[in-house]
Amino acid sequence: MLEFFQQVINGLTLGSIYALIAIGYTMVYGIIGMINFAHGEIYMISAYIGLITVTALTVQFGVENVPLILLFTLAASILATSAYGWAIERIAYRPLRSSPRLIPLISAIGMSIFLQNYVQIGQGARDLSMQPLISGGWRFGSDAGFQIYLSYMQVLIAVVTVIFMTALTLFIARSRLGRACRACSQDLTMTNLLGIDTNRVISLTFVLGAALAAVAGVLISLHIGKINPFIGFDAGIKAFTAAVLGGIGSIPGAMLGGIILGLSESFASAYLRTEYKDVVAFSLLVLVLLFRPTGLLGKPEIEKV
Amino acid sequence: MNSFNRHVLSAAVSAVLLGLGGLAHAENTIKIAVAGPITGPVAQYGDMQMMGAQMAVEQLNAKGGVNGKQLEAVLMDDVCEPKQAVAVANQIVNDKIKYVVGHLCSGSTQPASKLYEDEGILMITPAATNPNITHQGYKMVFRTIGTDDQQGPTAGDYIANQIKPKNVAVIHDKQQYGQGIAEEVKKTIEAKGFKVALFEGVSKGQTDFSALCTKMKSANVDFVYYGGYHPELGLILRQCREQGFDAGFMGPEGVGNKDISAIAGPASEGLLVTLPADFSADPANASLVKAFKDKNQDPSGPFVMPAYSAVQIIVDAIKGAKTEDPVKLADYIRKHSFDTPIGKVAFKENGDLKEFQFVVFKWHADATKTPVK
Repeated sequence: MLEFFQQVINGLTLGSIYALIAIGYTMVYGIIGMINFAHGEIYMISAYIGLITVTALTVQFGVENVPLILLFTLAASILATSAYGWAIERIAYRPLRSSPRLIPLISAIGMSIFLQNYVQIGQGARDLSMQPLISGGWRFGSDAGFQIYLSYMQVLIAVVTVIFMTALTLFIARSRLGRACRACSQDLTMTNLLGIDTNRVISLTFVLGAALAAVAGVLISLHIGKINPFIGFDAGIKAFTAAVLGGIGSIPGAMLGGIILGLSESFASAYLRTEYKDVVAFSLLVLVLLFRPTGLLGKPEIEKV
Repeated sequence: MNSFNRHVLSAAVSAVLLGLGGLAHAENTIKIAVAGPITGPVAQYGDMQMMGAQMAVEQLNAKGGVNGKQLEAVLMDDVCEPKQAVAVANQIVNDKIKYVVGHLCSGSTQPASKLYEDEGILMITPAATNPNITHQGYKMVFRTIGTDDQQGPTAGDYIANQIKPKNVAVIHDKQQYGQGIAEEVKKTIEAKGFKVALFEGVSKGQTDFSALCTKMKSANVDFVYYGGYHPELGLILRQCREQGFDAGFMGPEGVGNKDISAIAGPASEGLLVTLPADFSADPANASLVKAFKDKNQDPSGPFVMPAYSAVQIIVDAIKGAKTEDPVKLADYIRKHSFDTPIGKVAFKENGDLKEFQFVVFKWHADATKTPVK
């Protein structure tokens, strides 16, 4: 029973990261109906920025205050990756706004390949690694039996994820720009006619998605401590799956999808075999789509006449 | 003569000229392709291989090359991916290079070796240990390293005789090399009456192993053998130790690299690794070791000396057999023995070394290793 709780902790940690990345996919899809395949690469870039910033602060400048390092790294990474998110939209998608749906998709794949190679040339194709910034944690249970271990890092991942998700939800629900976002996702042309600068809203969507991916990237470089230019692909596929599972276009759906995916992977390797974790995760996706083609929390797309 | 014929003729003439030009060029140097990962997650092993082969080329050239010709090492990057390895092999065939030192990963060596066999190119791998590579009935394929059916039993015997664990987990990365060696180890320890509680595969490039660690911990596993490379094992060590899972770990030469300590940090202390004997500690290699040290290179990596030896064997064979024909050289190599930095070597009919020793080392957190008695 105790190991079950440990597996829940493992799954939630993994799921939080998936959820943070999944939001980027779902927001962009919700507004312009396109899959931003370069989003995984945004996450990869932010992991690099995170690792480099932490190493620079600790080794180069000898900063020892962990919360300070954390805040600075998050801020630096969010700023830089938001700029990437904005630039990607400007360069690769905006000129193709009125073209058929397939064209921006191909442009996105091209962008993804470009970014991978760009980082590979700049940072080398080898693994970069660093030692944990935050180590230690709580142990529960008797010394003799199975002990549940909850690391500070896992708690941090959960807390940071909740903070950013809440902030995003409030922003979308309460603010003026959030209302504009919701309007755009309902009808882009109509919103434009009503005098809202939709291009600005779309840019904002990319920036917000990138900022959340940046948070995921920083957390993963702190938690796992080993990155290479190819991590964006795997994480991107998983997060995309989470977004589809939860209902693409729906922000709470992306959160739910991420958590379910993380938990199912964790349980599959725990109670079946480690080999089957992806099989289980993707079978779950197929099953959900068979019975709910729009995902768990997705709304059916209304044919616009 | 009509214009069409004239074109054909001129094309034929230029083809002949170009061909001759190619031959004339080929006569000045002897090219040896060194194929392995220059980029990618396991490029550190490629460094060892390239370093050893280039040193051999340099030193042999300084001694006047071979038959008055200079050697040239052509570095090729296969990223340790089977697909890329075939592309590299095709390029080697097209460039008319006749000798290959490589590849490094078993998974990429196997598909490439078929091309070399078909095209009559001599291939000596200094690193690929999967037994299948030399069990294909090929004539052109050799290796200057042991095989996993030697390494597996070495590891298995050590586990059974020294560790005597109650509950063993054997984990692998589902790749040809990792799964192959993991199966050998499992076979050896089961034959000695030990129970393998878990035999599971993880994915190459996977980063989260916390579920696996929890599973091993709750199954009361007290010893883990991992077949694969260091990026995954490094993370397994780090995440398992963090959860308070304190079983002993052991791995093959694919994990014995200083990067495992960079990834796992203190968790890499005490890891057991089977590696070829440390040839750089052999007094007979003192001057060679000095040459590496002078260039600020580390000769103690497991594939440095085997790569050096592979180049030397090719050159010695060319001198001894008085031909540059790879097919005749393969025959010559099979029938003779060679003095190399990895000792006096002779080959079996299938291209394996007649003798090769794997030794158990204990790895330390500062990326050094000490042999275990």
